[in-house]
Amino acid sequence: MRRRRWLVWGGIAVAVGALALWARARINGLSTETQATNPIVRWEWVFLREDTPSELWDATLQHLQLTLTAVAMGTVLAALLAAVALRFRWTFTPITAFTGFLYTIPSVALFGVLRSRYGSWVAALVALTSYTLLVLVRNIVAGIDGVPRSVTDAADGLGLGRVRRLLTVELPLALPVIVAGLRIATVTTVGLVGITAIIQLGGLGQLIFDGYNTDYTTKIVVGSALSIGLAVLLDLGFHRLEVLLTPWARRRSS
Amino acid sequence: MTVAPALLLAGGAEGPSNVVEWFTDLENRASEAPIWENLWLTVWHSALATTIVVVLAVPTAVLLAHHRRGELVATWFVNIGRAIPTVTVLGLLVIASLRNGFGLEPWPIIIALVLLGLPPTFANTYAGVRGVDPSAVGAARAMGLTHGQIRRRIEVPLALPLIIAGIRTATVQIIATEPLAAFFGGEGLGAYLRAGLSRRDFVEVQAAALMVAVVAIGAELLLLLIGRLVTPKGVRIATHERRAARRPREGPITVAPST
Repeated sequence: MRRRRWLVWGGIAVAVGALALWARARINGLSTETQATNPIVRWEWVFLREDTPSELWDATLQHLQLTLTAVAMGTVLAALLAAVALRFRWTFTPITAFTGFLYTIPSVALFGVLRSRYGSWVAALVALTSYTLLVLVRNIVAGIDGVPRSVTDAADGLGLGRVRRLLTVELPLALPVIVAGLRIATVTTVGLVGITAIIQLGGLGQLIFDGYNTDYTTKIVVGSALSIGLAVLLDLGFHRLEVLLTPWARRRSS
Repeated sequence: MTVAPALLLAGGAEGPSNVVEWFTDLENRASEAPIWENLWLTVWHSALATTIVVVLAVPTAVLLAHHRRGELVATWFVNIGRAIPTVTVLGLLVIASLRNGFGLEPWPIIIALVLLGLPPTFANTYAGVRGVDPSAVGAARAMGLTHGQIRRRIEVPLALPLIIAGIRTATVQIIATEPLAAFFGGEGLGAYLRAGLSRRDFVEVQAAALMVAVVAIGAELLLLLIGRLVTPKGVRIATHERRAARRPREGPITVAPST
């Protein structure tokens, strides 16, 4: 396992290094002729243009801001809904049906409709948050349901109250499933944030739209690469968090 | 849900003052084509993309999951597939297609939608087949069924509820995203959305959103029905009993089986 991980990281490092070398070679080899053709990526825009770093940074930051705010709000709401569903079992079906219904509303349409009543930020956040709910609620409930009966019985036997049992026994054991939901929600949201470009937000999505509208593929490629990178980074971050928060799982497997 | 009617009936700036009027008002619409033509375009794109997704993803996932092969590759594929924004694929494909003279319709849009639909379908099929009770597979093998027979008669029917759920998710996502194509020069219901947003004619936006939502919910109901019809009786009863035992019907959504 350790060796495989080393191979993966080594592969990524080699790929990035090769790309950088190639990009450098491209820049150095640039002449007016090569610029006149229509390459997919104009490296001079990425590396030599002065405004590029700050523009990219702003876009990435906005993307990150929208994603994290939406996921955080979604997590709080989903935790409340899941708590209700766990306490009063009969509410589980209506709650999943409702979150499922929210998920069915087309994103492009929802952004548009909400934008017609509220500002861009409110519209984007409400829509993005509502899309995270389905996965989060379902995974929180399934995670806590998946705690073995014997464990909860033992907790009861130790005299833990309902709240303490939930917080100190069930929640830690359900963590892997909950984090799995969180990871899916985050990665999906990173993609959806791109669509908020249609209501003049969108972070990296705005870059992609600009690139399309001006027929400038460089912006599309760079925006997409950053967006994918962001998704991968957040995914890895949550994975790390899970590993850190569940030390017993590591101990057991090694 | 209760907010929706209030939202939809809210007045706009000029032109038709509510959604009902918009549907009858022929003058102030963005797209010259009749509504049903754009509606048909959206439905057709989504249906084609979903079909391609099912044809590509389900057999591959069943095969891989049956032989317990390629788990790492499958997980990577699903995760990366989820991370690729559709906006990107659409933008790049449309530009590439136009530059190479393939035109706008319909392949760039279809390919983008297919890429969007593959991960959920694949992940659910894979997880479904992986989750089939090993004793059932063992019993089938003991009865002398070949691998192909086990796949077709045991694993697929037992995994069917999950497979259909995956296809449903994919379909809804595909329909929800199809209007985005209009922002990249396509037609379809998104044309109203794009025009409405750019002219700040929010009645038009609301009408378009309403139509897309109706299509999505219609597709979802249709697939629910198909799922009900296709699922073998035995599997249905098992699901029913599980629900009666008050365990949640749907398990956690996981990123394919983790490695």
